Amino acid sequence: MRRSPAFEAFRYAAILLACAITLVPILWMVSMAFKPIAEWQATGADLTWFPKEPTLDNFRYIFGESGSNLIVALDRTAAKPILSSLLSASLGTLIAMAAGTSAAYGLSRFGAGGNLPLALIQLRLFPPMAVMIPVMMMWSFLNLMDTWWGLALIYGIVTLPFAFWLMKTFFDDMPREIEEAALVEGCSRGRVFWRITLPMMRAPLASAALFVFILNWSDYLIALLLTTREWVTIPVYMASLSSSMTGQLYGAKAALGLIAAVPPVFLGIMIQRHLVRGLTFGALKQ
Amino acid sequence: MAEISFHNVTKRYGQTVAVDNASFTVADNEFFCLFGPPLSGKTTMLRLILGLERPDEGEILIDGRRVNEVSPARRNIAMVFQNLALFPHMTAEQNVRFPLVERGEAEAVIGARLKDAAAKLHIGHVLHKMPAQLSGGERQRVAIARALVRDPVAFLMDDPISALDARLREETRVELKRIQREAGRTLIYVTHDQEEAMSVADRMAILERGAIRQIGRPVDIYDHPASAYVAQLLGAPAMNILPVAMVQGGGGVIRLEGLAPAGTAEIGIRPEDIRVGAHDGHGAVAKVWEVEPLGGTTVVTLDVGGRMLRALMRGQPDIRVATAVTLSVDLGRAHFFGAGGQALRRA
Repeated sequence: MRRSPAFEAFRYAAILLACAITLVPILWMVSMAFKPIAEWQATGADLTWFPKEPTLDNFRYIFGESGSNLIVALDRTAAKPILSSLLSASLGTLIAMAAGTSAAYGLSRFGAGGNLPLALIQLRLFPPMAVMIPVMMMWSFLNLMDTWWGLALIYGIVTLPFAFWLMKTFFDDMPREIEEAALVEGCSRGRVFWRITLPMMRAPLASAALFVFILNWSDYLIALLLTTREWVTIPVYMASLSSSMTGQLYGAKAALGLIAAVPPVFLGIMIQRHLVRGLTFGALKQ
Repeated sequence: MAEISFHNVTKRYGQTVAVDNASFTVADNEFFCLFGPPLSGKTTMLRLILGLERPDEGEILIDGRRVNEVSPARRNIAMVFQNLALFPHMTAEQNVRFPLVERGEAEAVIGARLKDAAAKLHIGHVLHKMPAQLSGGERQRVAIARALVRDPVAFLMDDPISALDARLREETRVELKRIQREAGRTLIYVTHDQEEAMSVADRMAILERGAIRQIGRPVDIYDHPASAYVAQLLGAPAMNILPVAMVQGGGGVIRLEGLAPAGTAEIGIRPEDIRVGAHDGHGAVAKVWEVEPLGGTTVVTLDVGGRMLRALMRGQPDIRVATAVTLSVDLGRAHFFGAGGQALRRA
């Protein structure tokens, strides 16, 4: 089909607009992370796309060095929130993936727990706010409040349905004859899972795990309610980055935001090869 | 070396009866074919023999030993699946080695057997490739090599060459027969292609909705089908089945030289047994509807009072579309079926 030049021009304009809406805020964050405090709130002609005097002060600041006399040093640095986020999101992902994958395999292969999908839908339909208060009570009874492992546990529970559904689709799409061939060729059921199913599922597992990790990594609400001081996560800590003298600490927030973007991007690049295959796994006839 | 028997085996999936009270014995070293239309229970029978399914009723015996409760791994039967079921994350070589590795064979034994199987199936040059990099024919050879490599008591094959193109299929089935003879093992082969079944099988079983309708040598079944159903499954073009009134008596369109047995409801005539002659002015006529010259033979489709018959003639006869012809058949070449479709013997 031949399109008119006017249509083509319009098409590219629309694509550019969509890209701008998506990418400019990210670009702005990157730029802001390197701006000195004097440029944070610049207006008019002083407002520039890129820092006039690029500096690492913002990064130094959130890790405890007061690079400027305009703001007082933070009483708590970003180090522990970063650690908290890494630990809780990682362990949470591990819990969700381990439980979700097992459940998905059992249901897909043996029809075990036939009502599970329905139960998981109900879990997702529940407004998170409605369950968070009871969860707070339970967690404080179990001494899990303000701990990264307590956070990891609830992250694992909340993202379990996603892990389950993604993995179930992948298992359903895997021809069962491949496992049966291994059974006939001398494997036990358990051995088939380790020798055949898991290796074949590497790509789908990686994609599902990345998806679940990003959900856990970007949680704010749960961490806000379940952590108070010791183990607050990056989003909660970021919200607290303001001072009574200067208001919002834009540069510091941008610097922290930039750091927060690193793990998902890094993971994404690491498993990129698998990601493409994983996300199209069901769409392609083998 | 194994004799495999079904004794009154029934397998149900919910309301569906996949295998219906089936009994048969496959002799040692036999090339046995399970043949029937889709969903007639062929694959389920293989799965029962493998132990991937358990029968609801009846017994399955391997060399006289009941195996109903024996796990697939312990039955020592090799299978080539319809979709081949190669392990996609392993190279061709790893695929073929797999059965031996899983059984804990010594590396020296594995190496020798691998070499042997690769040579037999001519896949030595593709062993380093992944299944996704192989052609359809190569994949299928790798799958057969994986079954062959470990010296099982019997081979099962579920329509393994249906995905190949016609020429490759013919080559492969000749080779399968050779491999089976050389290996000296029982081979149970599932197919829905009647030509394939007839050409490779020592004996075959004809299936209909999970039940076995006839067992025997292919030519015997072809010549003496037990029912109209069986008769129509074998042979291409399929046997013509006509109400008896169309063949004999005053209104008959086809001249039968002789009398049909009492109780005949339908008469079956193989396309190659219809004699087509020029119209001589007497009796009813058939009209030539279509002529398909195939080189060595010609398929002629005939319109007989609105009913289509097919005749297979040698060479390229001089028959033109829309002309009138007369049809006749020898009594000895016709098949007679009762009201229930059962075959009747000539008196």
